[in-house]
Amino acid sequence: MIPLLVLWAGLGQRQANATSLVAIIPIGIAAFPIYYFRAGAPQVDIRVALFLVVGSMVGAYLGARALKRIPERQLRIGVAIVMVLVGIKQAVLP
Amino acid sequence: MTLYDLAAIIAGLVAGLLSGAIGIGGGLVFVPMLTIGFRVTQTVAQGTSLAAIVPTALVGGITHLRQGDANVIAAWWLGGAGVVGAIAGALLAVHLQSGVLARVFGAFYIAAALLLIQRAMATRESEPPAPSS
Repeated sequence: MIPLLVLWAGLGQRQANATSLVAIIPIGIAAFPIYYFRAGAPQVDIRVALFLVVGSMVGAYLGARALKRIPERQLRIGVAIVMVLVGIKQAVLP
Repeated sequence: MTLYDLAAIIAGLVAGLLSGAIGIGGGLVFVPMLTIGFRVTQTVAQGTSLAAIVPTALVGGITHLRQGDANVIAAWWLGGAGVVGAIAGALLAVHLQSGVLARVFGAFYIAAALLLIQRAMATRESEPPAPSS
């Protein structure tokens, strides 16, 4: 979604990152029950999920606040690095 | 609380920071973290990550909305199209070989990242950060 917003819709990197995260809310809420109730028993480690969420909610707040302070260019390079790493991981170990 | 739980909180914090700043749901980071760091299977990693994404995106997304960072109209369009896409994707994924899909996405990410780097190089160094509220 982020490359789509930047390269096609022409949004700034900061606005694209923020917009993408807002759009994930309805997508996550819609996708969650499909994955959970379609493919048999849900495969979740509840304990790990709970502790992950404790950390990630604090992290998401701090990250969202920090976004304002990161310059556009560094932000764009940061996004690109994460995407290359994920892309390599996906292509090599699907 | 065990050391393992503490590691999960720290992993969550790192994934949350990336999620809030970069705008990813967290799944991109959660899944490899869980399979490599916590030694859970790919299926459990995906299920656990999915459970953690919604609260993470809610906190990050609402913070962005309150700060006025997000383009609300674009978010509506993306979110709406994403809901349709997610349902179609979930129904379609059953009929596709997952390895093929993953490689296609991997290639897409790398190509898009290269375009982003090219844009970053074209961005002026002097561009100031947004004023803080």
